[in-house]
Amino acid sequence: MTPGAVLLDLTRAEAVHLSMLVRDFLVVLDGSPADDPAVARLVPPAYPDDEAASADFRSLTEADLLAGRRADAETVIDALGPVDAAMLDSQAAHEVVPLAVDAAQLPAWLRTLTALRLVLASRIGITDEDAQPVDDPRYGIYEWLASRLDQLVETATGRD
Amino acid sequence: MTAAASPELDERVDEQLDGRAVRAWQTVVWNDPVNLMSYVVYVFRTHFGYSREKATTLMLHVHEDGQAVVAEGAREQMELHARAMHDYGLWATVRKVGG
Repeated sequence: MTPGAVLLDLTRAEAVHLSMLVRDFLVVLDGSPADDPAVARLVPPAYPDDEAASADFRSLTEADLLAGRRADAETVIDALGPVDAAMLDSQAAHEVVPLAVDAAQLPAWLRTLTALRLVLASRIGITDEDAQPVDDPRYGIYEWLASRLDQLVETATGRD
Repeated sequence: MTAAASPELDERVDEQLDGRAVRAWQTVVWNDPVNLMSYVVYVFRTHFGYSREKATTLMLHVHEDGQAVVAEGAREQMELHARAMHDYGLWATVRKVGG
C-alpha cells in the first residue's frame, strides 16, 4: 500500500456495480448541459444575475470541467479493475475486498462520487435536504455513494 | 521627521487603494441538498488551505445561512476559485462586494 493511501471497503459486487455506474456517467457526460440538467449542474452559472458574464465564464471553463470529470471517472474505473458480471451470481460477490486509494487518486475518487450523487439527485429530483424518495431504487445508490464518500473523506482527513 | 510627500507614504497610499480594488470581488459557495458536510470541509481545506476550524465554520455558514463568502479579492482570482469549486461539485458564484 502506498504511503498516504486510504482503504475503501467494497464487496466484489459493489465494485462491479460502481464501475458500471461510473461507465454510465461517462455516457451522461457526452450529453450537453443545455439538454441535460444533470450535466448543467456540473457546470453551474458563475454569475446568476448576469447572463453575459456567465456565458463568458462558461466558455472558458466548461470544456475543462467536463474533461476533468471524464479523467476522474477513468481513474476510478481503472482502479476498480475489469467488470466481471458473471461473478455477481457467485458466492465471491459478497466478499469484501478493501481497495487502496492512494493520495494522488483521492481527489478523483471524491469528485467522481460527488458528481455521481449530483447526477442521481438531478434524476431523482432531490431538491431539498429532507427529500428521501425511498421507493426509488436509485435513492439507495445515492445513499450508498454518500456513505462511501464520507468514509473516504473521514479516513483521509481524520488523521490530520 | 516629516512624512510629507515621502515616497514610502505614497507607496502605502497606493497599496491601500490597490487593496480596496483587489478585494472588490467575492467567491460565494451556496448550500445544496446533495453535498456532504464532511466533503465541503475537505474541499475548503484542500483548495484554500484553511484550517479545519475555519473550513468547518465556513461550511456551517453555507449549511445554515444558505451561502458563505469563501474568498475575496480580484475578479480573476475569484473566478479561478469558483472554477475550482465547480471542479469539486460545489455550487459557487462570483459577485462584486456590496453588489
